[in-house]
Amino acid sequence: MNRREIMIDLGMRIALMAAVYAVFAMMLPSYRTVSGAAALLDGAVLVGVVALGVGITMLAGEFDLSVGSLAAVVGVLTVNMIIAGMNVAPAVLIAILAAAIFGGLQGLVIAVTGINSLAFTIGTLICLRGFALIISNENSVTIPIPRFGETDFLAARILGVLSPMSITMFSIFALGFLFLNYTVWGREIYAIGGGRAEARAAGVSTIKPLVIAFAISGALAGLGGALSSVRLGSATPLGFDTLLLSVVTACLIGGVSLEGGRGTVLGIFCGLLTLRILVGGVSSLGAPYWLQSLAIGALLILAILVQMLINIMRRNASGARARPQPG
Amino acid sequence: MISKTIVANLPHGRISEATRRRTIILGTAAILLVLVGGATTPGFLTLDNLLIVIRAASITGIVALGMSYVTISGNLFALSAEELAVLSACVFAWLMRSHYDLATGLVLTLLFAGCAGSIQGAIVAKGADPIITTLAFGALFRGLASLVSNNKNILLETDAAQWLGTGRPLGIPTQSWAFAILTIAGWFVLQRTRFGRRLLLTGANRHAAAATGLPVGQASLIALTLLGLCCGIAGISAASQFGLAVANLFTGLNVDVIAAVLVGGISLRGGLGTPLQAALGAIFIALLENYMLLHSFTSGQRMLVVGCLVAAATLGFHVIQRRRA
Repeated sequence: MNRREIMIDLGMRIALMAAVYAVFAMMLPSYRTVSGAAALLDGAVLVGVVALGVGITMLAGEFDLSVGSLAAVVGVLTVNMIIAGMNVAPAVLIAILAAAIFGGLQGLVIAVTGINSLAFTIGTLICLRGFALIISNENSVTIPIPRFGETDFLAARILGVLSPMSITMFSIFALGFLFLNYTVWGREIYAIGGGRAEARAAGVSTIKPLVIAFAISGALAGLGGALSSVRLGSATPLGFDTLLLSVVTACLIGGVSLEGGRGTVLGIFCGLLTLRILVGGVSSLGAPYWLQSLAIGALLILAILVQMLINIMRRNASGARARPQPG
Repeated sequence: MISKTIVANLPHGRISEATRRRTIILGTAAILLVLVGGATTPGFLTLDNLLIVIRAASITGIVALGMSYVTISGNLFALSAEELAVLSACVFAWLMRSHYDLATGLVLTLLFAGCAGSIQGAIVAKGADPIITTLAFGALFRGLASLVSNNKNILLETDAAQWLGTGRPLGIPTQSWAFAILTIAGWFVLQRTRFGRRLLLTGANRHAAAATGLPVGQASLIALTLLGLCCGIAGISAASQFGLAVANLFTGLNVDVIAAVLVGGISLRGGLGTPLQAALGAIFIALLENYMLLHSFTSGQRMLVVGCLVAAATLGFHVIQRRRA
């Protein structure tokens, strides 16, 4: 895709988001208030940061299924370290570092052996879930009540809309944007996703970009798991089991292609907000929580069908151009 | 004519050799596990316990048979198997409670499950990504199951179907009969019929299959339809066994099924493997789980071991394949 096509594509995604917002804002007065917008943003943080990581592995032409289990492990790990007497910030940082190292190792195995990342990450998904159960003694772990005050800062409000959580999300997306567009490592991830054989022929090693992509995915899954567990004050080893669905939906509505090499950070952000507006709207309208998956599924199927239609139209258009002009 | 020759000659080359080797490896590993387990664990190598193992493997195994068709057809996995099984259970329970007779209930549920599978198959056949498509439909099915059941238990309110879930012809549970019969049928269709050979060829090399004039989309369509039917059978079986259906039945079934396919050594590249491998994979995991249960491993420890087994098996088969290629 050239620059113009990317802008048109992004414009369409923003239009979709605006349309979804308009529909719900008409029905829900809370959507038109600042606090409503703040709640929407806060609810998007977990899915958002994890979606960026998974999106980056998708750009590299791979897929990390293990993020949900990894987030659960990091959540339990963080709370365990806080229970053991550590301060909140170092506990979160150490847990994220561990997740990044785990992700990087995963990327290394995938890159060196050339194994299908779906298959391998299904294995690690099961392993990590087991590990989360072991380190939590198969129970929820909770931050001791006298120390709840240490986590209050996460609920603070800045300028009415932003919270430390949403500021973290915005900074992560900004960093992701700069990384993917303006660094060699970021461009290499796009390159090996777009065409691995061509990238290799042009002298790009596949190992380094894959290790980096999976390390980022691990770190961001860890960040999501740690932040939401600290905010909640507790972590459960079986948590985050539906995270993958929301994350992939956000990436897909954001225009990231599973074939790799196609998609933008801004697109993922649009997809995230569209999903969040829809899910938040459906539940604000009084639908029970279990209808959420119906809404997400329907939205995702719609995205798939539209994508298919666009592909077919594009194929027809290029076919028409290739044919010799009559006369 | 050309396509017929290629298809007819297909199962005699390296493909069937690799498949046979993997089946033998897996069978040997299962027998070793039985022997070692029997020698070190009192109560492991008894007929009763082995029947328990086979029964535990049955539901996962039945769905894994369908999944093996999806994988062999070159479509990786379906992530909607668990959700479709739940939805089928709810549909079946609802039909039984609405006083339809058993035969109607069975036919309608299987018809529904088959259609749900073929809709996904049709979309995948048109070129959509199988993982994403089935993830989306899985979410939809889960939502529909909650909607049908109003997120509560649906009681069957009749024991017409009870035998299907709890009967033991010749002392062996009905689920295990179904598992065994479907394994043989699935193996036969793939290895001995023209459709099966087409599926293998399409999975092995989609472009070559299209070039020889085979209907490429058909393979995905039928594979996902068969998976749908397997999910329907699983759903009916569970609903009859418990006398009710509920939207959180079968938690974790997707992962268990994919684990069975991977431990069975079915290649994700497609075109390589048989349903028998998926069945053996399911039985091997069930044996291992049972062995660990008798040694009172916690559920976390069991999951860790099974996860490592899946990762190790996937890596091992992948490395063997690469070395021989």
